[in-house]
Amino acid sequence: MEQSLIQALGIINCSILKRHGNNKFEVMHSNESWFYQLTPEAKDQTIFSFTDSSSYLQDFFIDAENFWKIGIDGQIQSGIWTEQVPDHLLRLEAIAAVSKGESYLVINNLQEQYDKQQNTVQAARELLLSNDKVLAQHEYIHERLEHLLMRNHDLESLIEPINKAIESANFAVMICDPQLKPIKQNPDSYDLFEMNRSSQEEQPIETLLSLLDKQFPEFNRVFTVSGQWNGELFWHKPPSSSKWLQVAIYPIKNEHRAPKYWVFIVSDITRVKYLVQRNEKLNQFDGVTELPNRQYFWKSLEQAIEKACPFFVLFLDVKHFKRVNELHGHLGGDQLLVDIGQRLSPLLHENDLIARIGGNEFGVLLHNLKSHTRCEQLAGRMIEAVEQPFYNENQQKIMVGLNVGVANYPLDACNAEELMKLADLAMFNAKRETKSTIKLYSKALKEASDKRLALEEALRTAIDEEQFELYLQPILDLKTGKIIKAEALIRWKKSEEIIIGPDVFIPIAEQTGLIVPIGKWVITRATQMLSKLQNYDQDLKISVNLSPRQIADRRLFNFILVAIQDTHIPAKNLELELTEGVLIDNFNQVYRLLNAVRDLGISVSIDDFGTGYSSLAYLQKLPIDHLKIDRSFVKDLDNSDSDKAIVLAVIAMAHSLKISVIAEGVETQSQKNFLRDHKCDSVQGFLFSRPVPFDEFCTQLRNQSK
Amino acid sequence: MIQKKICLLGASGVGKTSLVKQFVEGIFNEKYLTTIGVKVDKKVIELTDKSVQLMIWDLEGIDRYCGFQAKYLRGASAYAIITDQTRSQSLVEGIEIHNMAREVTDAPAVLIVNKADLDVAWHWSEKEVNAYRQDFQGYFNTSAKSGSEVEAFFSCIAKLASD
Ligand SMILES: Nc1nc2c(ncn2[C@@H]2O[C@H](COP(=O)(O)OP(=O)(O)OP(=O)(O)O)[C@@H](O)[C@H]2O)c(=O)[nH]1
Ligand SMILES: [Mg+2]
Repeated sequence: MEQSLIQALGIINCSILKRHGNNKFEVMHSNESWFYQLTPEAKDQTIFSFTDSSSYLQDFFIDAENFWKIGIDGQIQSGIWTEQVPDHLLRLEAIAAVSKGESYLVINNLQEQYDKQQNTVQAARELLLSNDKVLAQHEYIHERLEHLLMRNHDLESLIEPINKAIESANFAVMICDPQLKPIKQNPDSYDLFEMNRSSQEEQPIETLLSLLDKQFPEFNRVFTVSGQWNGELFWHKPPSSSKWLQVAIYPIKNEHRAPKYWVFIVSDITRVKYLVQRNEKLNQFDGVTELPNRQYFWKSLEQAIEKACPFFVLFLDVKHFKRVNELHGHLGGDQLLVDIGQRLSPLLHENDLIARIGGNEFGVLLHNLKSHTRCEQLAGRMIEAVEQPFYNENQQKIMVGLNVGVANYPLDACNAEELMKLADLAMFNAKRETKSTIKLYSKALKEASDKRLALEEALRTAIDEEQFELYLQPILDLKTGKIIKAEALIRWKKSEEIIIGPDVFIPIAEQTGLIVPIGKWVITRATQMLSKLQNYDQDLKISVNLSPRQIADRRLFNFILVAIQDTHIPAKNLELELTEGVLIDNFNQVYRLLNAVRDLGISVSIDDFGTGYSSLAYLQKLPIDHLKIDRSFVKDLDNSDSDKAIVLAVIAMAHSLKISVIAEGVETQSQKNFLRDHKCDSVQGFLFSRPVPFDEFCTQLRNQSK
Repeated sequence: MIQKKICLLGASGVGKTSLVKQFVEGIFNEKYLTTIGVKVDKKVIELTDKSVQLMIWDLEGIDRYCGFQAKYLRGASAYAIITDQTRSQSLVEGIEIHNMAREVTDAPAVLIVNKADLDVAWHWSEKEVNAYRQDFQGYFNTSAKSGSEVEAFFSCIAKLASD
């Protein structure tokens, strides 16, 4: 019969019960060795009922009963669980099935699958934990050192506390000056590389830097842009020593955002790597995306060079990935990487390669393209694929972009290190654009990149020498026509002849973090101006723009507080201006900051309103006084009905939330009339005045009161 | 006797299984054996006015190999988020899991910071942890190894579950 057949074939270790109504079952087939341990109540019964000995099964019956009642052919599964029976554990899964109108309960014994699955996951999880621990230790020591080194004491007085922090860290910690000369290397640094502390030979830091140079050619960028870096290195000392190292590099910056020290933290992760090797697949493949990993990519790149056929190397960087992690958690971020991998893979040819080579970075090798144009087209399709919305488990929409950097073998370079470096340089240039961008490596790109670095350098000097000037653009009340406020706008006076506009240098300042000292200068200057303006009008305000980087700076609030106290101005005369994007990216930080400044009496306005993610929800939660309608809507007000509608909607919405509205970029009388007729509160634009130096602004004030 | 279902949730390796083992059998094992799926243990707890049979659902750790499964929380009268004080990331993940759980249940929740016998290796300040505690009806710094605070934790969750 069927029963004996199942047994004879030994297909699956299961028990099959037929259901005869509410909690009434008949045993059709059972594996006696465990079934009666699970359900002693079934013994010697033709029809039996489950007692509630297995809570898990009872819980599953809620779903199962519903399913059986509906009675459509098919099955549902309980998921795997463990049941304790007298002297051992059973690994089981239950299935509720309906077939030809009959209901069944199948219980599978999954011991074998369980063991297999546990084996794989065990290694992976142990790995995850050790990795997490190493990274957390690095982060912890970094924070302590940063805290110490940021203090403006001379190094002499810091040595003692630094020693205390790193002496017995259990991993290597090296602190260098900006020229990468070692200031302090803890005992573990020498032990790690099996060096003698007193020997005058190579220093640990030198060994480390040369390893970095060989294995991560693109890492030099870290120093040129003063970034952070994390990665793994392999160290080998003939004849028999070798180690895997987890390396973290952090700049400690001075108040001008230039590196004052470099901190290198290195842990021996050979044991972790050993765990990886136990699991062959993890060794070559990335655990999250199941794509090939960095080591595999590197190997393939070298093999491709040996074949000496032309090919392209692409570096892809997922834009806004950090935001995804913040908003949707790390699991959400991981899932996104998986999804991206799945969208990109089908675009490639069979013998092309895609690998995950960094946190949010993918590497691609393309072998089948005849020209740069073709390569650009394909990269364009990759961007298109990634820019389509993704959805997480809760059906929330996730939008990201892609930066692509391309280098060609053999046109751009002929060795793996150089190719990686150039593709990275190209990608890094693409990254600077706000939209997804493709950059092909070229000499011109390199030159532009160098030029930018030079500009950065000049900007640092500008900060040291205060080559800035603050202009003011009046904002008028539409009812009275009087100046009630001014927006502070910065100019860079590089020399007597050369004045550079903020649209050129602010993006660079933002990317490099130089915006923080520049922003502080603006606040200081604005409060000084306010103090002088007290003579003209005690209620006159100046609004100052804040950028995302400034807001992320925890010391901002304190700085503003001190600036106000030093100049004895009423806090209410200062206004802070933020763009919409900032609200979304850093909601929690913004929330805290705005509430704190509001408590002082400072007012807050939202810039560029309407261009971004305008969300009423954000506005309601934050203490906001004014909205600035973006100039792009004002510009076409005379011709565009849709812009008119938007402006009206913003005004109505803002007023309903008791927020006042400022229109910027007002250039014509008819724009002004429209705004006045529709109860816009105030205006700013060339129709009234361009941004002017302080003295000229004072003249305007005097003229107005005449 | 009344029966109450409670769930232990958290990242992998934080000590969910170890806490149950310590509580139910008084045993601790140094070796890590990861849980696959679910295991339910039972234990009767004497509260001041009544006895409660706890059905403790020990769930597989939530990480990139096993996602959060809302269905296991069905019928739970309380749940605990377990974190590991030697691993910062486990608190971040614990809070994420708590937020996901909050979407499917209003049951009271307890925050557990486990491995109290080891050095604290996260860089959360007491203040930050306290801020997270606000979202929970109970908080314990347990050690599944020494047994410290384990009884207190399960008594508290039993009480929360039966109120
Ligand atoms: N020192 C110490 N070690 C603990 C403690 N709790 C658990 N461990 C250890 O941590 C490791 C993981 O413990 P488990 O209880 O298996 O963790 P889990 O949360 O059930 O893990 P998954 O089932 O994989 O999600 C084991 O090696 C335990 O011995 C504790 O309080 N102190
Ligand atoms: Mg477990």
